[in-house]
Amino acid sequence: MGPPKKGGYKGEKSKKRKRDEDEAWVYEDDDTNDTGEEAAVPNAAARDAERNDQNIDEDEFGAKDYRSQMMLKPDNASRPLWVAPNGHIFLESFSPVYKHAHDFLIAISEPVCRPEHIHEYKLTAYSLYAAVSVGLQTNDIIEYLKRLSKTSIPDGIIEFIKLCTLSYGKVKLVLKHNKYFVESPHPEVLQKLLKDPVIQECRLRRNVENESEEFITQVQDKKNIPNFGSKPGSSEQPNDGVTSVPEDITNFYDKIDNEEDEEENALETVSFEVNQEKIEIIQKRCIELEHPLLAEYDFRNDTVNPDIKVDLRPSAVLRPYQEKSLRKMFGNGRARSGVIVLPCGAGKSLVGVTACCTVRKRALVLCNSGVSVEQWKQQFKMWSTADDSMICRFTSEAKDKPMGCSILVTTYSMITHTQRRSWEAEQTMKWLQDQEWGIMVLDEVHTIPAKMFRRVLTIVQSHCKLGLTATLLREDDKIADLNFLIGPKLYEANWLELQKRGFIARVQCAEVWCPMTQEFYREYLVCKTSKRLLLYVMNPNKFRATQYLIRYHERRGDKTIVFSDNVFALKHYAIKMNKPYIYGPTSQSERIQILQNFKFNPKVNTIFVSKVADTSFDLPEANVLIQISSHGGSRRQEAQRLGRILRAKKGAIAEEYNAFFYTLVSQDTMEMAYSRKRQRFLVNQGYSYKVITKLSGMEEEQDLMYKTREEQGQLLQQVLAASDIDCEDEKIPGEGVRNVASGTRKVGQMSSMSGADDAVYYEYKKGNNINKHPLFKKFRY
Amino acid sequence: MVNVMKGVLVTCDGAMKQFLLHLDDTLKLGRKFIIQDLDENHLFISADILDILQAKIDDLMDQISFPLAEKGQ
Amino acid sequence: MADNGSSSSSTSAVFTLNKSSNLECKNLHDYLKTRPPNVLEKLYNHPTICLAVYRELPELARQYVIRILFVEQPVPQAVVASWGSQAFSKEHVYVSKVLSELSVWQEATIPGGLLGWILTPTFKKNLKITLLGGGKPWSMSSALDTDNKARDVSFLDSYSLERWECVLHYMVGSQQQEGISADAVRILLHAGLMKRDEEDGSPVITRQGFQFLLLDRHAQVWHFILQYLDTVEQRGLDLVECLTFLFQLSFSTLGKDYSTEGMSQGLLVFLQHLREFGLVYQRKRKAGRFYPTRLAINITSSAANSRSITMLDDDTHKGYIIVETNYRVYAYTDSNLQVALISLFTELMYRFPNLVVGIITRESVRQALRGGITADQIIGYLKQHSHEKMLEEGKDPLPPTVVDQIKLWELERNRLTYQEGVLYSQFLSQADFNVLKEYAQSNGYLIWSHKEKRTLVINKNAHEDIKKFWKRYSKGS
Repeated sequence: MGPPKKGGYKGEKSKKRKRDEDEAWVYEDDDTNDTGEEAAVPNAAARDAERNDQNIDEDEFGAKDYRSQMMLKPDNASRPLWVAPNGHIFLESFSPVYKHAHDFLIAISEPVCRPEHIHEYKLTAYSLYAAVSVGLQTNDIIEYLKRLSKTSIPDGIIEFIKLCTLSYGKVKLVLKHNKYFVESPHPEVLQKLLKDPVIQECRLRRNVENESEEFITQVQDKKNIPNFGSKPGSSEQPNDGVTSVPEDITNFYDKIDNEEDEEENALETVSFEVNQEKIEIIQKRCIELEHPLLAEYDFRNDTVNPDIKVDLRPSAVLRPYQEKSLRKMFGNGRARSGVIVLPCGAGKSLVGVTACCTVRKRALVLCNSGVSVEQWKQQFKMWSTADDSMICRFTSEAKDKPMGCSILVTTYSMITHTQRRSWEAEQTMKWLQDQEWGIMVLDEVHTIPAKMFRRVLTIVQSHCKLGLTATLLREDDKIADLNFLIGPKLYEANWLELQKRGFIARVQCAEVWCPMTQEFYREYLVCKTSKRLLLYVMNPNKFRATQYLIRYHERRGDKTIVFSDNVFALKHYAIKMNKPYIYGPTSQSERIQILQNFKFNPKVNTIFVSKVADTSFDLPEANVLIQISSHGGSRRQEAQRLGRILRAKKGAIAEEYNAFFYTLVSQDTMEMAYSRKRQRFLVNQGYSYKVITKLSGMEEEQDLMYKTREEQGQLLQQVLAASDIDCEDEKIPGEGVRNVASGTRKVGQMSSMSGADDAVYYEYKKGNNINKHPLFKKFRY
Repeated sequence: MVNVMKGVLVTCDGAMKQFLLHLDDTLKLGRKFIIQDLDENHLFISADILDILQAKIDDLMDQISFPLAEKGQ
Repeated sequence: MADNGSSSSSTSAVFTLNKSSNLECKNLHDYLKTRPPNVLEKLYNHPTICLAVYRELPELARQYVIRILFVEQPVPQAVVASWGSQAFSKEHVYVSKVLSELSVWQEATIPGGLLGWILTPTFKKNLKITLLGGGKPWSMSSALDTDNKARDVSFLDSYSLERWECVLHYMVGSQQQEGISADAVRILLHAGLMKRDEEDGSPVITRQGFQFLLLDRHAQVWHFILQYLDTVEQRGLDLVECLTFLFQLSFSTLGKDYSTEGMSQGLLVFLQHLREFGLVYQRKRKAGRFYPTRLAINITSSAANSRSITMLDDDTHKGYIIVETNYRVYAYTDSNLQVALISLFTELMYRFPNLVVGIITRESVRQALRGGITADQIIGYLKQHSHEKMLEEGKDPLPPTVVDQIKLWELERNRLTYQEGVLYSQFLSQADFNVLKEYAQSNGYLIWSHKEKRTLVINKNAHEDIKKFWKRYSKGS
């Protein structure tokens, strides 16, 4: 009730708390297995515009006051965005020039959040690196940003863009006729590089006598951007003056849009050859010199590596965003390395398959589980003309003979593990290492620790690398590494837009609050922290809510998957409700049987799965997902699970939503906080979680279990008698060491709770023995 | 004879009541403060503990609340 | 059973540490019916006021008035009741009460002992005049000569806005505007919108003040003027005269100038006050003419009716707030006042020349709740000022999840309610318990009881009374 006296109105306390949370945040994706080794990234990458506004005063209400930093333009209403001195950009999605601005911002900045009306982006060193690598020029970036902005652009931002772009993207490493060349349209840059003794060492001179050897000059031929599959009729209407778009914006947009063509028409480049053995040295050195080499593959002029006979089937129709992402990759007729970010269920594999069919050279696909290997093979067969003779799987189970195949599908761990291999596998590895791969597709690229990734790169020689992922969670160093190890982010789709256009399902997300029963809460308050997880998962009210939701959706004829990371709860829930369940130890044949039934048997509409389902097998289609226990605050797990029901559903257009995603949380427990944390990524993609404090109709539902105090008391006894191992999340072989949930709110604990799941590929043999779940002792890897 | 005591009647849900009982049992507020456990939803407590109690409840709520949205830093 | 504790907050007489009530907003009827009958009688001498009152009557009441306007004898109450169907008897009872409270009609005995209704003579006479014409001109007199420095509507709008915002700015403590007169400060203090700081005596905003700020403009002005009217008599002004003038203003024409000729000294003082708050514009104190502004016009009609009128071609009322599903708030404004208001419940992050970026957080909302602002007021304010883009899709103007969450934050604070009380236990007999319980209950003292445990809790304030009763009872038995 204090007076609004200057400054003092916002409590100091709240500020401090927020800072703590931000810290916790940074740790979330902390890669515990990947310390010690510093990635080679250019210094400029460490630059951060965020700090540019540190000296800016706050206004009397506590906001950073940028008013003195910029002038409002008189025609600001018809321009779509604001640029803050700290690199954040705010874009009106309802602006008539939204489309222009959106395409541009996606190219030069990282999306921070994209809800309905106003989108936030952020300029980062990486995003600008990505921008130049797809052909944008420093001055064009600045000029277009100026035109789109409602205000003048802060000087610091112009400075920042220049710093981050002037030296980036100028030099490319090109493999032509099996010779490596460092190529650039800017002779002065090459001259500068060659002054460096290390680089001089790497240069390969064919004509030794001529000391001052000229660069090889070449005019690039005009190339056609490849066509991807059969295009659906383009329905995009050009903006024809109906709205008041300032002319300078439209003019410039056309210019930016055509940029790539122009470049191709008359681009003169200079280059020098590089000694193949010194490729890695020169790459590293160029990074140190702030001229990271962009990898581009001129696959059409590669006559050394034989073409593979694979084409897209006519039935493979690319959606507009798939085509757009591929255009970014093949924009100048060559294949750029980089990462494409698409939501789960939005057709990532078709993008991968199309890329392979475009390059038409030997292709290697890396994924993170044996099940994915099978899926990828299926995808290739579905979308392309490749048949079994061309596609080979390299896994411990598959009996394929990979040597000499055109498309090889395998897992990261298969390639990188250091355990003893069978003779056959050893031979395959040798062959694989000797190959010059045309393209390497890296599935779920965000799940790989940088260390393992570097291993892959030392083993596999590939002309071009395409990373695919649904959730490129930003701002941790690992993703930063990816930028330079694979290449820049080429494209990132907008979830909400895909949803609106019907490419992914319209999902109603809900957080159902289940009050703890008095008895359970009493125990929760006094028990040791390790038991708490079990108490909030086994809360009778949660059980009842689950039971009710399952029945409700079964009546509607929906297919429901219930997720529980905790095995004790998984079994208890499933057995009590008499539903099939799958977890780590479930045999392959039983898994298949359950999944087949779920797919085809109209009587089996609900299955329970543990987190093995997150990555290890292909879940059949479902339109309802219920989480009863999940892993701490992992935003990625949340997004991945949502992805399980995102595949666009046919029909049912009349309904506002065609898929449902419930998270059940026990009120007044730490689960609430974890749940909120998990949601953040999706909330920034424009999803909103409806809080349900009371499930209507539940009161009337007959014979839900655990109704009486007595039954609840018996359940409590079972929970209290459970062992410590029962209290933990399921351990999946190959997973990193994980700390058990704890109720305290220290920064470190929170982070280890929620972040360790990045270590999916931690080598099983090395460090996990201590925490190994007894159930998995017999589980061979 | 009748016993008369001044204090504060607390009305709350079951979980919150357990929380208060827990604070009382474990002397988290430095001393006992519940005068009488009345029923499922009611407790009678000493009036002078109210400030500390409210702060403690705020702490609990703070703990289980995670900021919903990032500020994009 | 899945209830987040909302039901527990329904207990009455909630004990809070700093007792202060919520802002009470009266409409015209609420105000008038608390005036003594003689004041009403005087007021009804003015056709303007009769018209204003008539217009604000519920539809059914207006029906009744028109039906009996030309009936010279009382109409039996039973007859009036029979005009509507039985299904609407509730409404009938309600409007009958309203008409009586406002002294629009009064009870009269019909020969034969039946009770009837008849319109109050003064009201009847003057309502006839407004509806049929006649009598002396009842609007204010227009200025005789044309103003050579005439002011147009847009000038008046920006003038009134600026003046009014001065008051609001003062309340939020913004230093970027000029101050307001000591008189205005006194009204704010009187109205309880501000109070003197206990330490340095400077006026600071109160809980009601926060709530006031979140009202719409029309409701603010009306509330403020009512508070002002409370003080007119202390100032030696005539309440009836002021009220009458206010009603005349309410019916005046925007953009037209009126003469001050013939106005009493008291009214001229009143006019100066209205001028300060922006209800009228005068170039100079002694200009001899004044222009009513949009703030004054229709001031006496209820907000719902007037909104459509005042909003018309009024840019200043355009919605400017966008609330996103991720709790972001974007406000298209450069007004310090609007920024100050949003900052009451939003954590502000960036300020651009024409945009403020903020975020609704648990902490920022709790801050507001602690200040006495309710979740509904926050939601109401955001709704009322929603940007046109939010209204477009025919959906809720605010993301439902954000609305829910703000309410949940409020509920979270109300999960426990505290009532100071006295606990009685260990009764010797069930009879003793029953007696005390019944006594406490019939006097509204009882806040909790349990028969089997022979325990009860009574309101603390009732302790003395109960004690006395118990002594009497004990002696008696």
